[in-house]
Amino acid sequence: MSAADAPTVRPGVAPLHRAPRGISTRLFRSELALIGGRRRNQMGLLVLAAIPIIMAIATKMTATDRRRGGDLLSSMTSNGLFVPLAALLVEMTMFLPLAIAMLSGDAIAGEANIGTLRYLLTVPVSRTRLLLVKYASLCFGALWGVLTVAVPGAIIGIALFGFGDMPTLSGTTLSGGAAIGRFALVIVYLTTCLAALAAVGLFISTLTEQPIAAAVAVMIFVIVSWILDGVPQLDWLHDWLLVDRWLAFQDFLRDPIAWHDISQGLFVNGLYAVVFWLLAWARFAGKDVTS
Amino acid sequence: MSLFARRPWTRWAVPASALALVAAGTVAASTSATADPTLPERTPAQLLVDIQSAKVTGLSGTVVQTADLGLPSISIPGAKKGSADLSSTIMGTHTWRVWYAGDTKARLALLGQGSESDIIRNGTDVWMWSSTTKTATHYTVPANFGPKKDAGAITAPRIAEGLATPLPSSPQDAADKALALLDPSTEVTAPGTTTVAGRAAYQLVLTPRAKESLVASVRIAVDAETKVPLRVQVMSTRIATPAFEVGFSAVDFGTPDDHTFTFTPPPGTTVEEGTSPLAGAGDKSGAVGKGVNPMVPGENPRLPATPGSQPPVPGMPGVPAMPGVPAGLAMPSISGTGWATVIVATMPKSSPSTSTDAAPDARPAAGPNPLEIIQGAMTPVSGSWGSGRVLEGTIFTAIITDDGRMAIGAVGSDTLQGALAAGPIARPAE
Repeated sequence: MSAADAPTVRPGVAPLHRAPRGISTRLFRSELALIGGRRRNQMGLLVLAAIPIIMAIATKMTATDRRRGGDLLSSMTSNGLFVPLAALLVEMTMFLPLAIAMLSGDAIAGEANIGTLRYLLTVPVSRTRLLLVKYASLCFGALWGVLTVAVPGAIIGIALFGFGDMPTLSGTTLSGGAAIGRFALVIVYLTTCLAALAAVGLFISTLTEQPIAAAVAVMIFVIVSWILDGVPQLDWLHDWLLVDRWLAFQDFLRDPIAWHDISQGLFVNGLYAVVFWLLAWARFAGKDVTS
Repeated sequence: MSLFARRPWTRWAVPASALALVAAGTVAASTSATADPTLPERTPAQLLVDIQSAKVTGLSGTVVQTADLGLPSISIPGAKKGSADLSSTIMGTHTWRVWYAGDTKARLALLGQGSESDIIRNGTDVWMWSSTTKTATHYTVPANFGPKKDAGAITAPRIAEGLATPLPSSPQDAADKALALLDPSTEVTAPGTTTVAGRAAYQLVLTPRAKESLVASVRIAVDAETKVPLRVQVMSTRIATPAFEVGFSAVDFGTPDDHTFTFTPPPGTTVEEGTSPLAGAGDKSGAVGKGVNPMVPGENPRLPATPGSQPPVPGMPGVPAMPGVPAGLAMPSISGTGWATVIVATMPKSSPSTSTDAAPDARPAAGPNPLEIIQGAMTPVSGSWGSGRVLEGTIFTAIITDDGRMAIGAVGSDTLQGALAAGPIARPAE
């Protein structure tokens, strides 16, 4: 009832009090509505979507020397799908992790901060399940973020540069259908990367009642990981850094696909997801919630 | 659950045990991956025969190459991990993908972070592709080009090949001759087995007898089943990890699909027709023709098909100096033998900074000259022979004297200085 008293804060939660029985997706749907309904998240999605559009238009206007730069950026003019791929490459280092940091900061710490967490816990749902739902919604948020870059990027890219056979890094060409398949694989892979970060974020979120602090801590985690990843003396550690294989999604653009780094990345993603979710569970299930 | 309720701290044991489980699993996996398998014993001579008579109809795999030559860390563009610039392979870690199907079909791909360089041979066509410059260069080679060499490259390491003179009558003969030639300078042993890329392999170890050698040993892992060399490691006396290592991290001896070797330049690519540098590359000097693609200064003719055919190991008998030892040096004098060979040479007076590269004009014009940076990072040293600068690598040492001489060898600085002191007085190059 309390949540219903404050509909502006948790508009989607109220029905849960009436229908707690069985395996329900209501809690999950309510979480998604909450994430999608926040104005700051909507603004964040706009920024994410703007990057590929800006990149595509800037490239279209200045596309004179396509041989400059060796990466996806310079391939943009050859196929529209390279626009979202280049945008993902750019945003994967900072913007997309930032989006996950914000979402995971809101997940537990944000609720605690505005005092809705204890009401949420009055829902006859175990803390473990609540945490699972929170994590599932964060994973969905990860997919959401990746798609927000990928779909507008693909649309603007194909509109400006056309679509057809896609050259690979190996110098071969893929048919349009195969290219879309590779693109889908990239989206799935990057979603798992961000979902693993979301588990870290969820754990950090259980440690504090300040969503900003949690978000900042997640970003520090990401940045420190990037820095460590750049220190050659620590190469023994690199395999175990979450961010190390994030950019390996470009291996999907080789012919044939180079699976080695990708599979290592998936393994590390899974490892982080499991361990940090369990840490979050250990912390959250025994936590005194006072606000 | 009741335990968790009564003693909440016990919950932390769950993530901890998950972590421990993964750690244990990883350790177990890596132990079993490096465990020494039990194989029937082979003598070094038998292994050399095996290597020579190995026949591979096809393979595909991933080759990881790491070099820790002790060069000052300089900013050769892309010298860090994951560059696909073929000229950057002298430092750091690099990953290759290799495909091989018979003598006339082969493909090498050097993987970079978001970039790739490929060399594809299919019959008489050789394509070199660079994703960075979006350039495809086409060369034509004679149809019969290479089979013998390729076969040799994939079946026998250069050492055996180079030393088996006069023409051996059988692989066994060749192996015996090679061992006899090696014996005075090198102890050849087959101490045991190892696992490379998940495959059981024999270890063939060459240990220099010369005490002053910086090369502690050269270890060659030979696949127990196919007898293909899977890994070559050059161990230094100065560091515990290999100074140079190239080996498969994954390998499959099935014949790759034909389409792996077909190459059609994608639209938007600059296509160049190269005058074949490979035509003159049958010899071992690695001489570079004029039409060489700028992205591979001096390296392409001896690009390896397998770890077994890597560029000659520095300090190896018969290949006494580093690859890239000056081509324009005047009358080098050689002192010492075998692994302790020291070359003292007079550097051409013109630009010493470029004289140590076999193909200086092949280097991309942009960017700082790595040699200059290396020279700047060398330590001043002086002795009865004069003064100069020394570069102490992990498996070689080089001294460039102020009067224009250069000494290089797979030995320590003191041995080099001794050679310099005993060597001829520097004279201006004529």
